[in-house]
Amino acid sequence: MLRKPEIYLTWSSVKMWSRDRSSLFWTFFLPLVIMVIFGLLNFGELGRVDLGIVDQAQNAASARFINGLESIDALDTARGSLPAEREALAQGQRDLVIILPPQFGPSGETTAGAPAAPSETVEPFAPVEPFDPVKIEALYHAGRSSETQVGLGILRAAVAELNYAITGADRVVSLDARPVDARNLGYIDFLMPGVIGMSIMQLGLFSVAFSFVTMKREGVLRRLLATPLNPATLLIAQVITRLLVVLIQTLILAAVAVFLFGAEFAGNFFAVLLAAALGGAVFLALGFAVSGWARSEQQAAPLANIVSLPMMFLSGVFFSRDVLPDALRVVTDYLPLTYLVEAIRGMTVQGDSIIAQWPNFLGLAVWLVVAFVIANRTFRWE
Amino acid sequence: MLPWLRAAPQIRIALLNGHSHRIVPFGLYHLAAAFSQRRRPGSVIIISGLAAMTTPTNPNPNPEPPPVIVVSELRKRYGDIQAVDGVSFTVARGEVFAILGPNGSGKTTTVEIIEGMRAADGGTATVAGIDVGKDPRAVKRVIGVQLQSSAFFEHLRLSELLVMLGSIYGIRVDPAPLLAAVDLTDRRSASFRTLSGGQKQRFAIAASLVNDPAVIFLDEPTTGLDPQARRRMCELALEWKAQGRTIVLTTHYMEEAEELCDRVAVMDQGRIIAMDSPDALIDDLLSRGFRRDHEVRPATLEDVFLDLTGRSLRED
Repeated sequence: MLRKPEIYLTWSSVKMWSRDRSSLFWTFFLPLVIMVIFGLLNFGELGRVDLGIVDQAQNAASARFINGLESIDALDTARGSLPAEREALAQGQRDLVIILPPQFGPSGETTAGAPAAPSETVEPFAPVEPFDPVKIEALYHAGRSSETQVGLGILRAAVAELNYAITGADRVVSLDARPVDARNLGYIDFLMPGVIGMSIMQLGLFSVAFSFVTMKREGVLRRLLATPLNPATLLIAQVITRLLVVLIQTLILAAVAVFLFGAEFAGNFFAVLLAAALGGAVFLALGFAVSGWARSEQQAAPLANIVSLPMMFLSGVFFSRDVLPDALRVVTDYLPLTYLVEAIRGMTVQGDSIIAQWPNFLGLAVWLVVAFVIANRTFRWE
Repeated sequence: MLPWLRAAPQIRIALLNGHSHRIVPFGLYHLAAAFSQRRRPGSVIIISGLAAMTTPTNPNPNPEPPPVIVVSELRKRYGDIQAVDGVSFTVARGEVFAILGPNGSGKTTTVEIIEGMRAADGGTATVAGIDVGKDPRAVKRVIGVQLQSSAFFEHLRLSELLVMLGSIYGIRVDPAPLLAAVDLTDRRSASFRTLSGGQKQRFAIAASLVNDPAVIFLDEPTTGLDPQARRRMCELALEWKAQGRTIVLTTHYMEEAEELCDRVAVMDQGRIIAMDSPDALIDDLLSRGFRRDHEVRPATLEDVFLDLTGRSLRED
């Protein structure tokens, strides 16, 4: 049976693959390292917000307000003078700086111990009519938008709380936040499908692009053309080998994420493998297209990178595409890696079936046809 | 007299033992001598020309064996260049036929069309009765090809490469004798890339034999080889000829063509400008009054080189 060219060629190329240290490194080791590093560092978890407080009031009201802020987990607070905090903000040591002005609270009036209950705090403010709002100035670091947004949200809530306390207004609406999903999703649950998708893309694009360009340049393909080998047999053997590697790679990455980092794997395992194989086929076809166009490895490398790098960062591998500007996000909706990552993520995180993920599967299928047509046009044996 | 003794002059015994190799003209004396040679364990005696031994002698032998290659009015154009411009020739079974010509004369293109690797613009070529234009894969089954620059998969051992190539023909290949024939037994576990230039060339020749081809195409088989390896190559070609195989080769080495070939075709600018046996071509030139500038001595510098460095193959 092993003498059938299809089977023997596949077996040979599996052997070749297993002896190729650099491809083993890129295929198995590097994605694992990326997963472990990102998993351990938990990059997805929002960093704590560094909040600088400039207390120009120095009274009981400001002390209570600051106390309240310091008790919030998500904030790392520091106090200092205005110039010092401004400097710290400029240097990126603070995300946000708030300035409590001297008129914060009724200066001089309530120094004798702050009341504990809101109803009691109402009184000292009550005579002030009409109410002239005290302005708390907040300076923020423009470069750290997500931390700033979170910090500002917390501050707004704190200020609103203070307002309620002071005016004694009844709360008409209150937010009762409770985790609805029993599963506790973390960054690793987001990361695992991303890294699996990224690894499939890299394998498909680079392994084919490089090995076929090398075989073309050295004349390996020409020598095979001198035999009665059906060219399709060679391509099929190469594709089957790489799809096998894709499946093994997916298994290893998922196993590490699940068993080492406790990632969720809600969906059907075979459905995920099917998505991986379909995605693998898409990127293999793109790899053949690249190898058809490129005459040397020097041309193949940049071209494969041009195809893969934007997708690595725009297709929601490491972070959610929600942070992208709207115009860019619309474009990234149609990238093949987006379809692949979102199909896998939908299955592992939400436990979706293939049918529930049909738009992503359809997207991959369309890309497969497109990539196949391109590859068919560009591929050359010599 | 026994028929196989009557056929005796056609039979040769080849002794293959590691590095030294000789072809001994057949005769009882030589047979005895061959077997009494100090033989290392594992050395092989190949008795070729078995066909001659078993076939009863034809009382009225046909002097013209049927042609195995028939090429007629072959044409191929690349852009502005007419690479092959109406080439016709035939090669008989068991013949060694060379196409000579300067670089760019169209000889490689001609050979590649016959090998089924390129489609011709016009004309026909048949190999063993198969029309290349109609069924190139069927032609590829019966021929062995050594390309000008062959390369093979990385990360496979030489022995594995031969087995893999055999699988393409649906044959289970024993790589050992193939590698032994080109003195690469020691390198059977090496990968093709780690071979030296001469070893690569020799492996490419072994690879062209996996399917036991009736016709062997050698495109500049000795380019880049040292004189020892060139001599070995010529000996191999004569062995194949003795086995009844047909050989078509291109070369830049005229001494080699003169020594090996039954007939040569000289190509220039896509056309065959002369075709005959080397002797006839030389006689023709001499008859037109050609004289060499200086006297030809009975030995050449290559003879000196081989005398000094020995005839055995070197590990390069």
